[in-house]
Amino acid sequence: MTVKKGATAMKLKAQWNSVWLNVFGILIACAALFPLVWMFIAGFKEKTEVLATPFKFLPDRWLITNYTGILEDADFIRSMLLTLGGAVLFALLSLAINSMGAYVFARLEFRFKRFMWLYVIMSMFIPGMAILLTSFIVVTKLHMLDTLAVLILPGVASAGHMFFIRQFYLNVPIALEEAARIDGATRFRIFLSVFVPMSYPVFVIVGIGSYLGYWNSFVWPTMTITNTHLFQIMQYLATFRSERGSEMGLLMAGSALAAVPTILLFLLTQKYIMRGIKISGLK
Amino acid sequence: MQERKGKVYSLAVTTLLTLSMVLSACGSSNSGNDNSAGSPNNNAANSAEPTVSADNAAANDGKSEVPGEKVSLEFWANKFEPTTDAWFKKWTDEFNKTHENIQIKLTIVPGDAWAQKLKAAQAAGKAPDIMTMSYGNIAPAAKLGQIQPLNDLMDPGVFNDLYDNVKDFVSVKGTYYAYPKLVEPSAVLYYRKDLFQAAGLDPEKPPVTWDELLDYGKKLTQKGIFGLATAQTAADLGWSSWGLQFNSAGHLPVTDDWSKADVDNDGFRALLNFYKTAYESGIMPKQALSAYADATPFGQGKVAMEISGSWSIGLFRNDFKNMLDKIGVAPMPSIDGDQTKPTATLGGWSLVVDGKSKHAKEAADYISWLLAGDPQIMIDYFKTSQFSKFSPRKSVDEAMNQDPQASSDPWRKLIAEKVIPYAKAEPIYTYDISLAFATAIESAMKGESVDKALQKAEKDINDIVAKQNLAGTNPKN
Amino acid sequence: MSKKNYRFDNATAYMMLTPIVVLLTIFVVIPFIYAVRVSFYDWSFYQDSVFVGMRNFTNVLTDDLFLKSVGVGLKFAILVVPAQMVLAFLFAHVIKGMGSKLAGFVKTAIYIPTIISGIIASIIFVFIFDYSAGIANYVIGLFGAEPQAWLAEVRTALASIALPAVWLGFGLTTLIMLAGLLDIPESYYEAADLEGAGSFAKMRFITLPLMRNVILFLLVTGFTGALQQFELPLIMTNGGPLNETTTPNLYIFNHFRNDVLVGNSIASALLLFVVLGSISAVIFKVLNSEKAVDG
Repeated sequence: MTVKKGATAMKLKAQWNSVWLNVFGILIACAALFPLVWMFIAGFKEKTEVLATPFKFLPDRWLITNYTGILEDADFIRSMLLTLGGAVLFALLSLAINSMGAYVFARLEFRFKRFMWLYVIMSMFIPGMAILLTSFIVVTKLHMLDTLAVLILPGVASAGHMFFIRQFYLNVPIALEEAARIDGATRFRIFLSVFVPMSYPVFVIVGIGSYLGYWNSFVWPTMTITNTHLFQIMQYLATFRSERGSEMGLLMAGSALAAVPTILLFLLTQKYIMRGIKISGLK
Repeated sequence: MQERKGKVYSLAVTTLLTLSMVLSACGSSNSGNDNSAGSPNNNAANSAEPTVSADNAAANDGKSEVPGEKVSLEFWANKFEPTTDAWFKKWTDEFNKTHENIQIKLTIVPGDAWAQKLKAAQAAGKAPDIMTMSYGNIAPAAKLGQIQPLNDLMDPGVFNDLYDNVKDFVSVKGTYYAYPKLVEPSAVLYYRKDLFQAAGLDPEKPPVTWDELLDYGKKLTQKGIFGLATAQTAADLGWSSWGLQFNSAGHLPVTDDWSKADVDNDGFRALLNFYKTAYESGIMPKQALSAYADATPFGQGKVAMEISGSWSIGLFRNDFKNMLDKIGVAPMPSIDGDQTKPTATLGGWSLVVDGKSKHAKEAADYISWLLAGDPQIMIDYFKTSQFSKFSPRKSVDEAMNQDPQASSDPWRKLIAEKVIPYAKAEPIYTYDISLAFATAIESAMKGESVDKALQKAEKDINDIVAKQNLAGTNPKN
Repeated sequence: MSKKNYRFDNATAYMMLTPIVVLLTIFVVIPFIYAVRVSFYDWSFYQDSVFVGMRNFTNVLTDDLFLKSVGVGLKFAILVVPAQMVLAFLFAHVIKGMGSKLAGFVKTAIYIPTIISGIIASIIFVFIFDYSAGIANYVIGLFGAEPQAWLAEVRTALASIALPAVWLGFGLTTLIMLAGLLDIPESYYEAADLEGAGSFAKMRFITLPLMRNVILFLLVTGFTGALQQFELPLIMTNGGPLNETTTPNLYIFNHFRNDVLVGNSIASALLLFVVLGSISAVIFKVLNSEKAVDG
């Protein structure tokens, strides 16, 4: 009798907790989204209205000219699609390269391992500012300017991401590999058949991180890309800012539109993210 | 099963890597900075130049191409107002159309990334042939060989067309290194005539002394409106206070030979006290409502008096048309009311030719055509900027005075007659010194005693002089 | 039986390491060495560079502003990183307990701030902290308080930049925490429940120890990231007031922009590298994670 009551009580408690959690979660989401929503609405405002006093959330007049102007701009569309493609390519490449490195340091033993590890990890602390000029000289000498490669290759190998994936790989139980090893699989095969499939959550995070890193970059593209047909999206949006002020309405509209493909991409891949995380959680 | 997955994975990685390699080859590069088939020492006559600045053949220094060779030049312009950007594009296109042999590729670079982009390009030997440069940077750049002398590349007549004080901005000891495009005084007083009236002040009599300015500020401050807006952060004060440094002390915070700080004097004490009082009296917002260069808060009615540069006229005329009849324009007040003392510095932009440019002659030709040629081109610029900018050339001013729009503009007249003649040149020493002095002003505003602030500035400036070995290195001394 | 020593897999290791090592060498290590070499000169792009030995470095080390900026960087990191970690830890728990559909939405929502880019985010927060029109002053005005000069007051400026920094970063941090949390088998918690353990005990003895690797990673990357922040102060305060928000990278950037020669900037950037490396080494030692150090 008491057991049954206890069970119901626990179930009720669980449901109540769940409601609270959901509410909390929504609040968090709102806090994170608020500036984005504000930016989207600001895109409908006239230039001087965006930062007007007193604080007004909604515009006096809803102008769609900012949005239509940008959508009709072929340069903008091209820039956005180009950046999207570049970011996806960058993310995939980053996953491939950094996961291989992570596996090697997590599982393999080899000569000079300690040295290689220090070599790679030290590179994580080299500040971008220090090598801004000299890396530009390097890519110039390699004739990489005004190409997609100059935006992808320099940053794709990342000790930080590699480090992160390695931490997860360290936690993979040895037992999982034993079976494959006994079957005579090579280390590389084990990587492909055991580690990669279960890397979903980690890959999602590194993928998103890499994608966003590429998507947001502005200084390097401005330095290395002068061909307007290859402008990256942040570089393009920067053309709305000048020495004396910004084209506020256009800037907000442009930024809001630029965020759309990324949001869509993330929403679409939610399924895989969820699946991946669920699988790992059940272990 | 594993085999298949393995193959897919390897295939994917290989594809991605190959794609990247391929991409490194693709991507058009039409930045024709590499020297095309130029015959270096060909003294053949210059290519067809249907411009005002003729007689270029005489100035030919042997770097020109054989007529008929197409030369492509890179031109980087700093990003300014949209009207300026449009003007550059329009006239560059026009030049390209009328000059078959010289094609200019214009890139407008946002201010945020200008320094990195330029310096990296210079480091890699890929600096643009032509670029915009502000007056303060010209002498230091010339000293380091970053820009080329123009005396032999351009018709001397174009330099005679400049006002005397402007000649000094673009030359070092007689050699010209840049051609100026515009001058704009850094400080002008904008005030709300209607608010003056409401506060019992005569709208036709703006303040002329610092004390009056502070006094008016108090009378105009009310709920929701501040009496005065001016620079209040070190970054803004660094350059916007130069005019008042001249006004109060007659000189800058460092000696002419750059050997030591020159800070301990009553003039600077008065200057710091002025800013300190302005801030502490409550007539200014405690946090700047915008950067000094951006007069939007005034346009939005948040402040009754604003000190900003002459370019703000353009802002008001473009974006705040309904305020125009309420706005009054006057010179920045002087410490003692003497309006012949400088209250502003004359800032502005010029075009220069890169020190390593392989097509210096063509670059100079473009600059001559654009800035020193047909006055109508420049008049177009001054019109689209709403007469908020001023010409460094006598011929252009003469032509503009014939123009009904230009000659009837009272604000233009006021600044041209009352501000520009007395404005001084910007300093050319390292910006660190200006920042050290500006930090003193800001700390005085935020509570530090004037004496202590000046003492720190003196120490800091002397440190800078010592560390950077500045003594005796003034190119103009 | 394999002919190779069963413990050493040199060939596979080198093959799999090649891409990352080659790319890092070409685009990071070589430029770095080049930069070090150049820092001993007055690097001039147009004239001959003059060898000046340690002068660039001594100039930077004796510059009060540089030392101050390192202090600012540390203060900033201390404001941002713990706050971000604690918030992320809490939020990760909240999301873990949510229904899956809603959880998906929330997860996307929290890393959207990062899409907006540091520059736009700075503009938005500048507006939030605007003296006359900002939401911050509007809200405290409702409680009868005086408007604050958030970005211009020495006391509040750094904290006012820390806020957007946390906002920008907590999305990804939460996701990482979440992934780490989900890695812990439920059975451990169930066992603890059976033994009558309360929430705190569960956190202390199960969650935190098992998350150590993740936490270590987040701390190191959080600190190095915070120390390298410069877009926020650049747009929001320009390093002011009175250099209270001049982070090390902003110091470097300002010199880069204003100086005619770049020797100073490169020297200070290299010194920053030394600082960053040391701090990370300290964090490693403190958390004493053998696995992490051994490699």
